[in-house]
Amino acid sequence: MRTASELKFGEKVIITHVDENHPSSRRILEVGFTPGQEIELMNKSIFNDPLAFSVRGTLIAIRKNEADCIIVT
Amino acid sequence: MNPHVLDKVPLITLVGPPNSGKTTLFNYLCGKNLKTVNYPGATVEYSIAQLNEKYNLKGEVLDSPGIVSLHPNSPDEHIAIDSLYSHPKYGMADVVLVTIDSSQISRHLLLAKQLIDSGFNLIIVLTMIDILNKRGLEISDEQLSKEMNCSVVSIDGRTGKGIDKLINVVESNLDKVKLNKKKNPVKPNGELKFNSILDSYKLIESIEKKVIHENSGNHQNINIEAANKRIRVLNSFIKNNSNSDLLTYKTDKILLHKFWGLFFFFIIMSLTFTSIFWLAEPVMNLVDILFTFLSAQAVNILGNNWFGDLISDGLISGTGSVMVFVPQILILFLILGLLEDSGYLARGAMLIDRPLSKIGLNGKSFVPMLSGFACAIPAIMAARTISNKRERFLTIFIIPLLSCSARLPVYALLIAFLIPADKAWIGGLILATIYVFSISSSVIVAAIMNKFKHKLVKEEDNSSFILELPAYRKPKLKVVLNNSITSSKIYLKRAGPIILIFALILWFLTYFPNYNPKIETQDLTQEQIKQEISSERLSTSYASDLGKIIQPIMTPVGMDWRVGVSLIAAFTAREVFVSSMALIFKVTSDNQNDLQASLLDAMRKAEIGNTGEKLFTTATIAGLIIFFVFALQCLSTVAISKKETGGWRIPILQVLIFTFTAYILMFITVNGLRALGIS
Repeated sequence: MRTASELKFGEKVIITHVDENHPSSRRILEVGFTPGQEIELMNKSIFNDPLAFSVRGTLIAIRKNEADCIIVT
Repeated sequence: MNPHVLDKVPLITLVGPPNSGKTTLFNYLCGKNLKTVNYPGATVEYSIAQLNEKYNLKGEVLDSPGIVSLHPNSPDEHIAIDSLYSHPKYGMADVVLVTIDSSQISRHLLLAKQLIDSGFNLIIVLTMIDILNKRGLEISDEQLSKEMNCSVVSIDGRTGKGIDKLINVVESNLDKVKLNKKKNPVKPNGELKFNSILDSYKLIESIEKKVIHENSGNHQNINIEAANKRIRVLNSFIKNNSNSDLLTYKTDKILLHKFWGLFFFFIIMSLTFTSIFWLAEPVMNLVDILFTFLSAQAVNILGNNWFGDLISDGLISGTGSVMVFVPQILILFLILGLLEDSGYLARGAMLIDRPLSKIGLNGKSFVPMLSGFACAIPAIMAARTISNKRERFLTIFIIPLLSCSARLPVYALLIAFLIPADKAWIGGLILATIYVFSISSSVIVAAIMNKFKHKLVKEEDNSSFILELPAYRKPKLKVVLNNSITSSKIYLKRAGPIILIFALILWFLTYFPNYNPKIETQDLTQEQIKQEISSERLSTSYASDLGKIIQPIMTPVGMDWRVGVSLIAAFTAREVFVSSMALIFKVTSDNQNDLQASLLDAMRKAEIGNTGEKLFTTATIAGLIIFFVFALQCLSTVAISKKETGGWRIPILQVLIFTFTAYILMFITVNGLRALGIS
């Protein structure tokens, strides 16, 4: 099981599941990270946190620990 | 239920996710009477205006802050959403226009769906059609209208095409509202269910497949596979032909680069601050010259009596001391607006989220902190975007330490005293040092306060950073300029009256009771007589009586009551220090020099009592600068801090900690420098 925080640049993956127990999970869904969506890691900030993903045609920056609740293929 | 419906001018409210073209639409619609509404005033105040006359439709348009969903995540979203249901001043909207970026409908339709489910009378406005077209896709308004069961209009933000149609739709919609009884939207209660978001998205995705078509394709025959392919094209960020996406991708590879990103971050921030000084300085000089001229004219016209002095020294110089730093505030707001509109501010927040979270702040503290360099009041309000309460309070706590523009006139005066007039660049260097010092102090204070974070805010709360990075684009100068002018006006309205009133009170205290003292005029020139009268008047004034009470506090830091009175006056607002010093020390008002030059001259001559010891020395001036870096001398900041934190605890802590630190450090600086042989 891999999470979005472990992606490499340029790797395209599909979200399989979002961990409901993470306190940020609802907002993560609301901004567009839903199961079935393809995401790609686009940028990392200094210290590799936060991470910016391309999802649904836009760029969203989220913290590494928030990316951990996004389970990918 | 709603009294709005029949007789009152209909209220049209604009809602939309951030970066969905809402403000552009607002600018097209609004005509006369544009005003910003203070309450409930989220991050940016609400703007309200009459519908432009050329549309031949009566109505008021209300622009609201951007929201992602009807389920709030931070205080600013709370306010924005609550006032959608019932705006404290304007009631509820008769019709809601929701702007949806058509190149991102799968994300943006979520809000539209929530609004419809909630029972709002909704019209969907599709924007950014050109971006969608560049991707080789197009959207069917009719199909979307059928699927969502509400009117849909597409507009072109650059040409204004589609606005007329929108007005027609709004008009017929309002007619319908008049006929039918309007239903009242119901606020969804309870927490948003995880699964209900998933269901909404499933529905939206199926709608998306039906309404998005390839440009040249046959609209009738849609097979699922082709539709899926289209959606994939829509979702992938760089795999399409859109130039703006490619530009964003390439720019981000540099501006968000691990090493270069930080490098450019510092370059951009330094440029921002230096340009504020370069650009504002000539304008500030003009303002200063203008008010000096007016002040002299007032004396010429009204004569050398108490009334003439009241108008010239109290009213005109007081107003001047407020107006002189308006250029700087305007330019700072302008540059911030340009950075935000271009898409960089969100990236800046992302870059420093990690370092800031180490000291208990959040990447989203970045914008409030930046605004803090203009004025703490909008900055503290901007902290509402931070969802975590503790991080928000800590951000609010340190904002007064960031060098706001009200300190600039003070620093300008004190630095001008320190350096020779022909070496202005040293002044710039000192000012830069003060800024760096103020930033480092705020970081240190945040880190120290973070150690006591459990005392600051007790409840544990999820710390989060989720932020959309909008595609880079050319900022809309007109919109940004309008916003900066509005922000500056709000600032003037808030701070202006306080400063003016205290300038007048201070004038009174320094002028009475002995306003026409008798002095020996023999063998004295006209100029000397004026000087004698002024100094005699001051030393027997109410201000001097007050000052003697605080003399014991001022002696340890090598100063006398005159500076003490100015410092106390500065607690109402820092700029008052300059006008107060001008009132107390400006013994003569000659027309040759500007305000600052004659004040500096008087300061150089000032002595402590009759000891012959100079009052202003390098040591005391340095001490004063340090004092101003730390002391929280601004009533408006205290008031807004109380309002935003919902109690007196934080503002009282701020005043006590910052002012105490300021005095101690001033004491150390003055006496330390003296011990080192620098008087």
